[in-house]
Amino acid sequence: MLINRRELIRSTALGSTSLALTPSFNHLMAEDAIPNEGPPHRFIFIRKSNGNLTKQFSLPSFSSEELKKHEEKEAFEVDLAKHELPEWLTGLNDFKEHMTILHGISMSVSGGGHYSYSGCMGAYKAGRDILNNIKWATIDFELSKLFPSPFGHVEMSLAVPHGRDHRTGIVSGYSAPAAKQRNYCYADPMTAYQELFKSVINADEASTDNSLLDYLHDQELSRLSGLNGIERRKISNQVDSLQSIRERTAKVASLNQVIRKHLPIMDPVHENGGPDATLPQKHAAFTDVIVAALASGLTNVVTYTIDDLGTDITSLPENEQKTSIHQIGHGGQIAGAEKMRNAIKTHHMKQIKTLVTQLQSIPEGSGSIFDNTTIIYMPETGAGHHSPDTEAPMVIMTGANSKIDIAGRYIRLPFHGTKGHKTLSNWYTTLLNAYGNPIEHYGDLDLTMQQRRLDQMGSIDRFISA
Amino acid sequence: MLVFLLCIPCTWQRCCCAVAKDVEVDTPSNVESIQLEDRAGTLLNTFCISCHGEEVQEAGINLSNLLTIDEVKRQGLFERIREVVTLREMPPEQEEHPTNTERELLIQWLDQKLDGQFAKALSEKLKRFEYGNIIDHDELFSGKHATQAAYTEDRRWLISEFIFNEKINSLLNYEPTRTIYGKPYTVHGDSGVHWSPKTERGNKYRRTITNPYLLPQNTGVRYGAAPEITTGHLLTMLGNAKRVAAHMSSEATMKLHYPAMYAMMKPALDHREQIRKREEFLRNFSAMDRLLKDLYGNDHAKLLPKLIRQDIPYPGPPKHSSNGIQKRHDNLEFLGRFDQEDMRAILQGIATYKETPFEVKEDQSKARSDSKGTPVWAPYHQDEQDEFNRILLRCERDWFVEGVTPYRIENRLTTMKLFFDTWDLQKLYQHIEKGNFARQNATPLAATEMQAIRNTVKKHRSQGDSYSRIIEKSLHEWHSQFLNQHSQQGVEYDRQVRDTVIELHKKVFQRVPKPQELADTMDQLKLFHSKLDLQLAIGKLIESLVLSTEFSYRSEFGTETPDRHGRRMLSPRDASYALSYALTDSIPDETLRKAAQDDRLNTKADYEREIRRMLDRRDQWTIIDENVQAANLNASVTNQPIRKLRFFREFFGYPNAQEVFKDDSRFGAGRHEQAVSRLIDEADMLIEHILEEDQHVFEQLLTTEKFFVYHSGDNPTMTKGSRQLKQTFEYFSNMDWESWEPDDIEPHKEFMLTIWEFQKTRNHDNKSLLTTLKRLMPALVLHFSDGQDHALPYMKMPMGFWHGGNVLGRTGQQMRGEQVTTYWNLNWKTWDYPTEQPARIPNRKGILTHPAWLIAHSQNLETDPIHRGKWIREKLLSDSIPDVPITVDAVIPPNPQQTLRQRMEHKTGADYCWRCHQKMDPLGFPFESFDDFGRFRTVESLEHPENLIKEAKRDELNEFGASLAVYKTLPVDSRGVLTGTGDDSLDGEVSDAFDLIDRLAKSSRVRQSIIRHAFRYFLGRNETLSDSKTLIDADQAYLKSNGSFNEVVVSLLTSDSFIYRKPSREE
Repeated sequence: MLINRRELIRSTALGSTSLALTPSFNHLMAEDAIPNEGPPHRFIFIRKSNGNLTKQFSLPSFSSEELKKHEEKEAFEVDLAKHELPEWLTGLNDFKEHMTILHGISMSVSGGGHYSYSGCMGAYKAGRDILNNIKWATIDFELSKLFPSPFGHVEMSLAVPHGRDHRTGIVSGYSAPAAKQRNYCYADPMTAYQELFKSVINADEASTDNSLLDYLHDQELSRLSGLNGIERRKISNQVDSLQSIRERTAKVASLNQVIRKHLPIMDPVHENGGPDATLPQKHAAFTDVIVAALASGLTNVVTYTIDDLGTDITSLPENEQKTSIHQIGHGGQIAGAEKMRNAIKTHHMKQIKTLVTQLQSIPEGSGSIFDNTTIIYMPETGAGHHSPDTEAPMVIMTGANSKIDIAGRYIRLPFHGTKGHKTLSNWYTTLLNAYGNPIEHYGDLDLTMQQRRLDQMGSIDRFISA
Repeated sequence: MLVFLLCIPCTWQRCCCAVAKDVEVDTPSNVESIQLEDRAGTLLNTFCISCHGEEVQEAGINLSNLLTIDEVKRQGLFERIREVVTLREMPPEQEEHPTNTERELLIQWLDQKLDGQFAKALSEKLKRFEYGNIIDHDELFSGKHATQAAYTEDRRWLISEFIFNEKINSLLNYEPTRTIYGKPYTVHGDSGVHWSPKTERGNKYRRTITNPYLLPQNTGVRYGAAPEITTGHLLTMLGNAKRVAAHMSSEATMKLHYPAMYAMMKPALDHREQIRKREEFLRNFSAMDRLLKDLYGNDHAKLLPKLIRQDIPYPGPPKHSSNGIQKRHDNLEFLGRFDQEDMRAILQGIATYKETPFEVKEDQSKARSDSKGTPVWAPYHQDEQDEFNRILLRCERDWFVEGVTPYRIENRLTTMKLFFDTWDLQKLYQHIEKGNFARQNATPLAATEMQAIRNTVKKHRSQGDSYSRIIEKSLHEWHSQFLNQHSQQGVEYDRQVRDTVIELHKKVFQRVPKPQELADTMDQLKLFHSKLDLQLAIGKLIESLVLSTEFSYRSEFGTETPDRHGRRMLSPRDASYALSYALTDSIPDETLRKAAQDDRLNTKADYEREIRRMLDRRDQWTIIDENVQAANLNASVTNQPIRKLRFFREFFGYPNAQEVFKDDSRFGAGRHEQAVSRLIDEADMLIEHILEEDQHVFEQLLTTEKFFVYHSGDNPTMTKGSRQLKQTFEYFSNMDWESWEPDDIEPHKEFMLTIWEFQKTRNHDNKSLLTTLKRLMPALVLHFSDGQDHALPYMKMPMGFWHGGNVLGRTGQQMRGEQVTTYWNLNWKTWDYPTEQPARIPNRKGILTHPAWLIAHSQNLETDPIHRGKWIREKLLSDSIPDVPITVDAVIPPNPQQTLRQRMEHKTGADYCWRCHQKMDPLGFPFESFDDFGRFRTVESLEHPENLIKEAKRDELNEFGASLAVYKTLPVDSRGVLTGTGDDSLDGEVSDAFDLIDRLAKSSRVRQSIIRHAFRYFLGRNETLSDSKTLIDADQAYLKSNGSFNEVVVSLLTSDSFIYRKPSREE
């Protein structure tokens, strides 16, 4: 991650070396240090596999001139209110004022291929999910530092590499809390439900967790006797940490009233990892859990891998051929691959619609929680199954209080490797800058831009609300 | 206080300086406080005030107003002065300097002035390894301090990422293996990420553990005792502890590994087993069906739920994206793509209800053609479809009654109809006929069990209940019954709790708990159990152990009576861990553990015996770097003590080559990311080779001209692989193979099948052999037509991913990354490959010219003379480079007409920059003979669009086989200057990197500098003057043993610095 060194030193008492050593999740305890006022802003990152074909992101009502620009990848913008949406996106017809179809951001910094693992969230190449390739905290974790919450960042995932067994429970995730660290995630809705809302749905276990912390606290306290200097600190740090975590659980407990209010009703089909649950049922349940987690203040940032190349889509009604996402990606082997792509996206949009409507129905301030929410629906590998990664069309939903000024528009930015082009790094820098992290540039540099000596630093300034 | 600073005008400075010089300077410890104040003032006036006084304020610092400024600012100023004085950053190089004693005196005074917070911050900073060089090198090796009694403070030492991995693997009973030179071995250093298409795929559960003890990624020593545990560690461990506890307290694990836990859980497990058997019986459709018929007779059918059929159409012929329709799918391997539970049910249903023979035929009268007019598909005959429909109906009814969810029923029916219309049903029927898919009858349970089942089922069955619903209600009742009967009190319960606690303590901490600890832990387990199911309660107990600081810290404390210096020897137990963790990442091995138990770790001789034994061990394999291994099927394993090898990896920092983001198009020979991993693997092999020889190790590392390049380390195998290629070339080169037909192969078949590439052809038929020959020979022509003796034995067959190759890596996998040669300016296709390696490679000398080191010390698009020079200055010359001032924005200005060196000289040559850069740049510039991929060069390409002569073209390769864009060039200027060896015969101008390296290798200072870093690595802290004897002894051990690094290790680990401990001081 490139950060202005002076800025860094100014903003942290630790200095760069110490910062690099900072272990993950520390930010969870940093609530008091963050100056953000008012309701927090929430972010939902929805990762999808198989890329987003650019042609499926053009608007059917484009004029011939606009279509030409779209096809030739020239920069332009149109007002969504004056246009029809592609069929798969029509579920969000009523929300055009909040919608952006963002085109032209490249993902070459994280790369194409079958998977990008943590890369598409960190704007670096993650190789084969190798720990060493995790270069820094991913964007979702960075944003969660700006809007702290008891759980900090929550990751949910239906990710299954193709040909592998389905996952349930708590498993390794794709986001990264820090360099060389992989996050965990909830691989089925019931696990997410039980873990996030434990304080109200399983009081015994929650109270045992507290008793465990108390016990550990006493044990460590007793070790302090006779210790001096740094050796004392090595233990007292743990005592203090246990104390603060205990306080955090008390804080979660204090949210119990709110949690109960928003607690979703889980279909028993999701018990034991939900072997009988269909994909739409899983989608719906995850959506409910996300809404409840955000509404009850347990987290402000959610990353949700809505599918992966191996996610079982045989339960989608449109999947008459019982094909797989991977096979759809390879297109030619089956008929109607593009139709299936649209069917999958249609299901995804249904969830986004639910997210928006449910969040809109929960009051906050003079509006609703959705006013303070950003939903980013993005491909993890660019504009196709393996490639190209020079484009990565996204759908973004922003609430009224968004600090990113892009709503209601179809925006196509200059193409990769040309003047004015914006990379995934620029996009993430924009989010960070807009919401309070002054970082000069987040993410890796694009080597094509660098070789062509084209400016690629910083945020996309025109996106940031005045 | 500091009156002198306020009253002495600057013009008096020279005079004061003269006075100061005349004053006899006591050693700092003898100086009284008031005297100290005066003398410090004099020194400040002498050395500082001319640049930081009333008239001149360099960098905005004014020392003449210390009395009048705010206390907080004053503290800040004191801290800065303390730092620059300690780090010898001030006075500037060209100015007059205080003596060492004067400098110490000033530091002592500043320490008095600094209050707790600032002093602490500075003290912590100085503990960091990058400040290790501030101790004066000449003083350290002068012998003046050799009489000081060396020791290390008692300490807890946070475990490293590597130790954490081993601990977790042990708790998860994860015993990874690798096949090494054809034999399977258990290996250390695997955290479950291993990736290989053919062999191991890592461990999914292991990967759910997040390692919170990661070391920093800097070059040099990384693992020390200073870091403290933080909330971040704990938060990460909370999740880890749950997953570890889930594994350890699982039924399967406790049965295998934890007898006490298993005994305690036995009643619950027996009950669970009893219920499991009941459920298994009831889940058998036939058994349940019969049971209910027995229980209800004719009423059974009336109680069943009423079938609601699903309306699912047949899909019709298999569709194709461009051809309209296509032939039926016939690859049954693709059945694996479907939900396996549903697939089992489908196959079972067909096997159960198929009444006619397993045959099916298409009705060709209804054949249909694709868009090209080719008949590709026909429906099966109607009577076959009629029977299939009957099977469907019966399956659907069974599943419905069984309580299968509607979605699954729909999925199964859809899939079955898909099979009928779009799959080769004949093949599927054969598969079913051959397989054992028919419904199995359940064996009835014992009479009492059957009675219990009958009673419960009868009690709970209601009208319309599916079989699943009846089972759920029965299970619920049986579970409640058990909980009501289970006791949590009594002597037997106490004994079981005690045994379980002891057993878990032994596993997690390798010790028995102390009495109070035992009592507390037992109480805690009982408390957990009062709220939770026993298994969950034991899990909570495991969590508490894993979350304890005893898990996170290694412990190194002295024991017994202190000697006259107040030092105590490490306790035998702590010593065993300290020694084991010095050389490995694992807890003490059996021999070492026994030595500690038997009181045989009390003398230096005891230590030496164990160290030498461990250094000689070659029966334990460790993965050197999982990332290198996973990146390209590299072997990356060693059977040497891993920490010895790791010292040099981290010291040189070449593994960081993987971290530098490089563009494939500038590499020009394929995927840099994969190739660079082989490069690092082979740098590791070189280090391993030199350490195995253990003669003149440092000199060898710096000056060897022999390297591994695309080699497994197995000379005979590589020679054999190359020879086979040569044999093939010689056999066929004079023949007209290009015009051959398959029959022409016959006379040569016997010879061909002695060659690996031909042995791998499918069926060994002439056609396949000819195809392989025609693919192979053009490559062999390139390999040998210029009279080469050997060729790089890269596998020429496709699918090498699966086939391996005619040579294999150390771990039996395909040797990939043949493009690695291009980093060495060699074209793998034409190189006269040295099969015996390490082998001499032109234009290279030692690790500093190894492409991995050069890439690790480069930028994305350019070389990095500054960091290359900094590395030499700090690592080989034990010198310090000040932190980059906050005011510096270190950007080299672009100028497309200049080389990087020219641009740098323009920027860093400025006086303000040169003060520091003179210590780095002249040492880094000689390496400009290598580009940022480590390729040797005499001219530098000015890679800027305006200098482009020719774009890269895929089929136009340069002399080392890379396709690169051509730019204008300028000659490389590789001259440099060596300073700081303390040896006039070595210091001075150097002509190039090789000249520089030769001089460095001859320097005592360089040798001692490496030993200083080894000290930090093995002791986990920076050296002090009291460690002087330890360092001198290690240096002598190296010299007397012809440069054995093993002797350095033995010397360090048997030194007073390692063995003796003192309580840590108050801060």
